[in-house]
Amino acid sequence: MSPPDQLLSRLLERRIVIVTGKGGVGKTAVSLALGVLAAKRGLNTLVCETSGADQVCGRFGLPAGGYAISTLGPRLSTMSIAPEPAIEEYLLRMLRFRKLYEMVFKNRVMGPFLDAVPGLHDLIQLGKVFDLERERGPVLGGRSRQWDFIVVDAPATGHGISMLTAPRGMMRLTRSGPFHDNARDVAGLIEDPVRTAIVLVSLAEALPVHETAELYGRLGRFQEQVAGVVLNGVRQHGLPTSFPALRPGLAAGANPPGLDALGLADRAIERVAMQDRARVNLGRLGVPVVDLPDLPESALGPDQFGQLASALEASA
Amino acid sequence: MTPVIICCGAGGVGKTTTAAALAVAQAQAGARVVVLTIDPARRLADALGVRVGSEPSPVALPPGVEGTLHALMLDPKETFDRVVARFAPTPEARDRIYRNHVYQHVSANMAGAQEYMAMERLYELSRDGRWDCVVLDTPPTRHALDFLAAPDRMANLMDEGVMRWLVLPASRGGWRMIERGSEVLAGVLERMVGNSTIADIAEFFSAFQALWDGFRERSMEVRSLLAAPTTRFFLVTTAAPAARAEARLFVEQLRAHQQPLAGFLLNRCLLPLPAPGAPTFTAPTERPPGWDAAVAALAALHAAYQGRLQLQEQNIDELIRGTAAPVWRVPDLGEAVQDLEGITALAEYLRPAVT
Repeated sequence: MSPPDQLLSRLLERRIVIVTGKGGVGKTAVSLALGVLAAKRGLNTLVCETSGADQVCGRFGLPAGGYAISTLGPRLSTMSIAPEPAIEEYLLRMLRFRKLYEMVFKNRVMGPFLDAVPGLHDLIQLGKVFDLERERGPVLGGRSRQWDFIVVDAPATGHGISMLTAPRGMMRLTRSGPFHDNARDVAGLIEDPVRTAIVLVSLAEALPVHETAELYGRLGRFQEQVAGVVLNGVRQHGLPTSFPALRPGLAAGANPPGLDALGLADRAIERVAMQDRARVNLGRLGVPVVDLPDLPESALGPDQFGQLASALEASA
Repeated sequence: MTPVIICCGAGGVGKTTTAAALAVAQAQAGARVVVLTIDPARRLADALGVRVGSEPSPVALPPGVEGTLHALMLDPKETFDRVVARFAPTPEARDRIYRNHVYQHVSANMAGAQEYMAMERLYELSRDGRWDCVVLDTPPTRHALDFLAAPDRMANLMDEGVMRWLVLPASRGGWRMIERGSEVLAGVLERMVGNSTIADIAEFFSAFQALWDGFRERSMEVRSLLAAPTTRFFLVTTAAPAARAEARLFVEQLRAHQQPLAGFLLNRCLLPLPAPGAPTFTAPTERPPGWDAAVAALAALHAAYQGRLQLQEQNIDELIRGTAAPVWRVPDLGEAVQDLEGITALAEYLRPAVT
């Protein structure tokens, strides 16, 4: 099996895929491409934002849907798991009465306290994913799964690791009680290699590649769950192999913009070499590496995510 | 007050590198500069020669540079320990906090602790007397300007209100009715996190009681440092469309905090092509194989670049809309910017922004 084949098969058999990587590498675009691909393969798919930016609906030309589930297309939905509504939902369920919840947690004392508890936001966000994974759908008399495949667009590097380790942190902090037990259940799902995979997103440049390798190293127990690295923003130069031989003749016959174009060609060739080095360096991690093309469109929309999904599929 | 430069911006826009380059530019202008970085990539840390938890360590600059540059990397745990030691009235009070189960867990991880400790360390450096300029690379936060509110949040957390709810029960050996509803609160918390955790938390707040005044006072001092005219905020970003929404959020939040923006520092900018028009190539009489394919590929590369350039300009216009802050562009230096030499090259472009 080729590495990309492994990547896709490793991924689509899981229930949950957590997408992380350095800031600004296109985690959301990759999450959506994975979502589009899974939906296309017939899986009921949910893409969850965790940053609170609530930007996915906008990319699909829909009004921001917040904490509610929004349908993006056939078998493809999204929601924004912002910490605040997730905490509210969790506590309301535990306390059962809104009035009690408001009295206990919606006051000037508990507000800042809840904000400061280490890892609480991250844990409750993962807890929501845990609930979604268990949610039952209307088919088979309510026994079917609501979601086959859940993509979590997780925070960048350091914060991403904090999120993965939040359940264990909370278990250590609380030592016993229902909260401890909930954290243990969430850890059980997130750390289960059968149900949960991790995808790292990188750009094909030296620094992002270094940071991706560093991130992989810091993942510790989660390393075995890394299904692969998606190399985002890969460009082709499109020049024929004879270009180096042709270059002097082209330079001799070029008008001034033609000379600019030759300069751009030299840089494009350098860039392709840089991408190749990046691929080799990431390959040393021992996980599959797949390319996604650079799409220069101003705002990525459904068509672009479809294109990225096809690229993922084609690379397999 | 010591001049302070604060680099804000989303993750992945080259904030740490930019902070380092601004510091180099200042040192080249003859200043004694210290740059405080938060969780930099290892490569960059190596380039600057900084170690976690270290005091400012000197960075070797090229010969002929008049000023000096020191760098350090924030260690939230170590800073927190030092803050506790400073504000604790007695060594016993300090050790009681160090020993607390909750403190051991939160001091490195507490939400907002990194932001608070960045502000704390910034304040210490600004008062140090050894520096002509302090450059801060801000932590990547979920909410753009969390770090500005961090000292206030810490003071709020240490507020008497919390103490009355959490501390007294511990000191009297059980939860007591102190305010209406606190019994309910106690019951709910106990049901959720268990008895021993409540005791740990209560002990934590009780131990911190002695430090309240110190925290509150420091929170006010940091606020006045941030508001000082000698403190300048720069927004670091790229011209990429994906970065714009987050960058605009910074602009709006700075405005809401009434912090003037000293300038936009735009990384990885495309430069306009010198010659106008479309590329053409006069073929030799005998057209070599691959000529037409090469010409077509060159035209495509040229058109793609012009397209990206146009997009970049639209983005920059959108980004700076409604602000009067100057814009400083840094061209895409590619892979060069991963060592001190690269950072020095970057400094050439950023010098006018800070000197």
